[in-house]
This record gives sequence, C-alpha cells and structure tokens, in this order.
Amino acid sequence: MSSPPAKIELPNEEKAILDSVASKLGDKVKVLFAKPNRIKISTRTDNLVDVAKFARDELHFDQCANVTGTDFPKDKQIEVTYHFGSIDDAGLRRVILAVACRVPSTAPEVPSLIDVYPSANLHEREQAEMLGVIFKGHPNLTRLLLPEDWTDIPPMLKAYRLPGRLESE
Amino acid sequence: MTEQVAAKKGPAAARDGPGLNVLVGTVKNVIREALTDPVTYLANWGRLYSLWPVHLETACCSIEFGAVSGPRFDCERYGILEAFGSLRQCDLVVVHGTVTRKMAPRLRWIYDQMPEPKYCIAMGACSITGGVYFDSYNVLPGVDQVVPVDVYVPGCPPRPEELIDAFLLLQDKIRKQSIR
Repeated sequence: MSSPPAKIELPNEEKAILDSVASKLGDKVKVLFAKPNRIKISTRTDNLVDVAKFARDELHFDQCANVTGTDFPKDKQIEVTYHFGSIDDAGLRRVILAVACRVPSTAPEVPSLIDVYPSANLHEREQAEMLGVIFKGHPNLTRLLLPEDWTDIPPMLKAYRLPGRLESE
Repeated sequence: MTEQVAAKKGPAAARDGPGLNVLVGTVKNVIREALTDPVTYLANWGRLYSLWPVHLETACCSIEFGAVSGPRFDCERYGILEAFGSLRQCDLVVVHGTVTRKMAPRLRWIYDQMPEPKYCIAMGACSITGGVYFDSYNVLPGVDQVVPVDVYVPGCPPRPEELIDAFLLLQDKIRKQSIR
C-alpha cells in the first residue's frame, strides 16, 4: 500500500557542485550518488590530491571533517573516503562532499592530504592503524588509539578474529 | 655482665636435649591456640569497617557509585569511604564497568600498589563478561583476567542497593577469613 517516495529536488548548492565537478574535473571522477546534503564521488589515487585541491579552492570546502575506511574482502580492496565540509560558506554548511578512492588490500597506499587539509592529520593516523592503510607523505604515522603492546593485524579488517574466550566458536 | 650470662646459658640450654624444646614448643602451641581466635576477630573487625575503595572510575557505573557514596544511600555508615589521598591507604578496588585492553595494565598497576590485604569488586556486566562489548576488539572480556575478584555485582548498571549488598557480602567474607 506504500506509495513510492516522492522525487526529491536537489537544492541549488548541490546542483552547482555537480555542474562544477562535471565541467572542471570531467573524467577524473565518477559521481556515485547525489542526495540533498551529501554527494559522494569516487576517484583514483593519483588524482586524489588534485580533487582535494579543487574542492578546497573552487568549491570552498575549507575543512576535512572525517576520514573513513571500509574493507571489501571479496574485491580484495580497501576504500578510503575523505569527507569535506565547510564552516565559512553559509550555504555549504549542511553539505558534505565525500571523495572515495579504492586501493588493493595487498598494497594499500594512499597519498596523504595533510598538505591540502591539515585537519586530516589525526583521522589519517586513525585509519592507518585501524585498517593498515599507508598514507604516503604523512609526517607522523605512529600509534594513536590502540594499546601500546598491540601485535595483531589491524582490527577493522574483516580478517581480524577475536583472541581469548571467543576463539573456540 | 648479663650478656656473658646469656651467652653461657644459650648453648647450655641447647645441650639439655629435646625435653626443654618440646616443652617450649607445647607452650607456644597453647599460647597460639589461645590467641588465634581473639586476634583474628580483632584484625578482621578492624578490616571489616574500614574498607576504603580506590578512586578509579573507568565507565558509567561510577555514577551509581557516586549515588552510593552520597547522602541518600550513604555507604559510609558501613565504613566504606572513598580514599582520595593515596593508593597506599586503600584496600578495596571497585571496577566501575568497562575496562579496555589499554586500561588493563593500568588497573593491574593500581592493584599492585595497594598494600595487603586487598579486595576487588567487579561492578556491572561489562566488568564481569564484557557486557554489550563482549565481541569488541578493545574491551576486556571479564576483569578477572587481570585482577582476582571477590564479589561480582551483575546489572547494567547495578542499583545502589545491589552495590551495598555486595559490600555486605564482602564484609561477611572478611569476617570468616583466617589470618596468618
């Protein structure tokens, strides 16, 4: 009995972002989805720094709000997603631009965006120890949250198994 | 002069054979038998009503402990008073909830600094089995992997009455223990 959800009109800021991305970046990126308040695009690792500079200079996203990662064991890939937000631009405050790039899980190397967005520092360190991703160009990629005596594989990988009492299950 | 007398008496007493030693040993046993019960009672009575918990708060169960320490439930009437001064004055550690793997060596470190005799209460589901975080990579599945636990208090979090009941159980345990 449920009616299909009504088609939601994209607000003007998101339309402008999509137009600008399509005209300036072209083949470098692919738009995964565009919803109100959130746009996700994907790119390759060698274009990541260019896309971040474009988001900072042309689209006026002035901070890196978060860096997240996902393990895809079937594809043998790890997806690292940068979330860009804005504080100064009043129209962009509600919008998050997510830039995803996939790397093979055998050699997970992503260029660090710390020169473009200094606020990516701690987020990249967290992803480095939770997923084992190596951010090339990061000056201080050391232990942040895990215990000092951690010797297991990074715990957010799907291959991680709990030690101790639950081992027999 | 007295030292010389004592030096002469010492080896002489040893040469007297086993008879004197047996007598001395029997007297010692009699005195020990006579004194063990009252000394044990006195020592346990002293420990019983001066349980001072460590001020160590790891998770949200510490709110309930604050309620227990407060005027409404008032565990001080049983002699339980949080010691803020030093770990050397404490003889009880109440583990308030979740203990992460990073916190576990610190908890053992605190436990090792306390003087004997010392007791431990595991408060809340998280400190007993890990609680809702039982399959987390970073939470200890039971604090008894790190420190020996005397009383377990289940609940998420336990009511203040349950924690007071745990204190009374621990006092029962101390009342029945023997000293050496």
